Amino acid sequence: MDEKFEQKFKEVVARYCSVKAEDIKNDMSFRDDLGLSSLDLMTFLGDLEDEFDVEFNFGEDESKLSRVSTVESAMELLQEYME
Amino acid sequence: MNKTIYTLWKTCEEKYFELPAVRWLDKKDIQERTYGELAADVKAIRKGFVAEGFSKKQISLIGTSSVEWITAYMAVASTNNTAVPLDSGLPAEDLIDLVSRSDSEGVFLDQKFVSLAEKIRSECPKVRKIWMLSGDKAEGTETVADLVAAGADASDSEEPAEDDICMIVFTSGTTGKSKGVMLTQSNVYCNIEAILYDLDPGLVFMTVLPVHHAFCLSMDWLNGFMMGAVLCINDSLFHMVRNMSIYKPDVMLMVPLMIETIYKRLKSLEGQASPEVLYQKVFGGNMKYVFTGGAHLDPYYIGEFAKDGIEVYEGYGMSECSPVISSNKIGEGKPGSIGRPLPNVEISFENGEILVRGTSVMKGYYKMEKETEETLKDGWLHTGDKGYIDEDGYLFINGRVKNLIILSNGENISPEEIETKLALNDLISEIVVTGEDNLLTARIYPEPETTEKMSKEELQTALQAVLDEYNKAQPTYKQLSRLVIRENPFLKNSSKKIIRHEVLRDEPSA
Repeated sequence: MDEKFEQKFKEVVARYCSVKAEDIKNDMSFRDDLGLSSLDLMTFLGDLEDEFDVEFNFGEDESKLSRVSTVESAMELLQEYME
Repeated sequence: MNKTIYTLWKTCEEKYFELPAVRWLDKKDIQERTYGELAADVKAIRKGFVAEGFSKKQISLIGTSSVEWITAYMAVASTNNTAVPLDSGLPAEDLIDLVSRSDSEGVFLDQKFVSLAEKIRSECPKVRKIWMLSGDKAEGTETVADLVAAGADASDSEEPAEDDICMIVFTSGTTGKSKGVMLTQSNVYCNIEAILYDLDPGLVFMTVLPVHHAFCLSMDWLNGFMMGAVLCINDSLFHMVRNMSIYKPDVMLMVPLMIETIYKRLKSLEGQASPEVLYQKVFGGNMKYVFTGGAHLDPYYIGEFAKDGIEVYEGYGMSECSPVISSNKIGEGKPGSIGRPLPNVEISFENGEILVRGTSVMKGYYKMEKETEETLKDGWLHTGDKGYIDEDGYLFINGRVKNLIILSNGENISPEEIETKLALNDLISEIVVTGEDNLLTARIYPEPETTEKMSKEELQTALQAVLDEYNKAQPTYKQLSRLVIRENPFLKNSSKKIIRHEVLRDEPSA
């Protein structure tokens, strides 16, 4: 994975937790390790759209989107949309 | 003047005719409808009801917040029919059950839930009409335009009486089965009348809560309309923060979870820009008041938001009370309390439990006489919450009598409802659902007979699969996020009932 992409991504994650961007590991869980609430996660996904200039399909993919559990799975999802 | 939604709406139409009533986003463009335009649409639907023979009937609404939804709702609520706003996030089988149990004869359906149409037709024989709120019609449905066309030559519907049932709101119950709270026209009117706070028209509200909630319907929509506000619809929780900078609201009604998320967003930007720029960026630049309820808010946030000039007022209510019981008011709040009782509310206590009497207390639960008698005694509503009033007349909550779990998104979870469903599984002998850190935990004592040959890992996998299967059909807030497998059965009292308050102490994580 592109290093710059990963760094920028983790900076957005860090807005919603007390862990610094550089300490966020790919296998961390948003809920259990980083303490994001379900709404934090949704708002975070909304932020990703602005930061990475993508548009998620919140209508059809809503369940898929609100179920991303780890940092890595969210990065993969975002890359899918960016392609 | 009758205290009905009909008179409320008529007053709005006359006083605010030219003013904007609703704004919403179409892609990224703001659309708008005035009070006059909305009133014309509402009246056209009412005439449709007359032509189609809908008088004193229940009409369900299934959909998320939209101008079409609120137009249909106002049409039903301003007639002698009864609106049944349903939680569109529920599994299909629950929605069908509620349409049936409310004896609805008509259903307004959002395009997103069109797949329900066929099931409603086959499983709810009382339903005569399904009207699509948006999009094309599916088989066996009509559009709102069809309903309006049917009523083109009809006269306007009869005015509702104060005692007519205005809406039935379904709430999760401790007995497992959700109960339909019957609120009369005057119940709802009196609650809104008691919570008005700014009579200068033109306030901008951004509405973010699910529209079927009594809290959102009364405090955002009906209260906003009565004050001549413009209601801006948040299209998705994913975009809540972005939409605040688009609509630039003065007022928002939120559950504590939302306040916590916005606070995190604010903190993360601190130091990057001046406080003025942050206020502009996060809140849109005009935000003055935030009203909150549904769950307890840590007073810490009230102080933090005050630094940005935003006043946060916590209130308290339940659907059974249309829904507001008490609220901190502009200019006179006490952080940590849930405010003083509204002027139309009387409070008393029985063994610490808060009892409420007044003009907003429900008529009863729909077709549930036993549950009604248990909750309403001599006109006093038993809230199930424990609390006290301080020397200044402010109400405080300090516990619950019932077993409801209240998450910080304001959702009330009845653990028994989930337990009853899962206890049917062969692998489960006993189960208790608890809520910690805003997540639900299933605490399971496995059935020894069916699980004795399994290894620890196999048991874990098998039980997790049971939870996954259950979670699939549930809205996010009802999903079980954690599993604790117990080594011993739960502690029981002399009548063999599980002692709930021992559950966490006895085998916290087994």
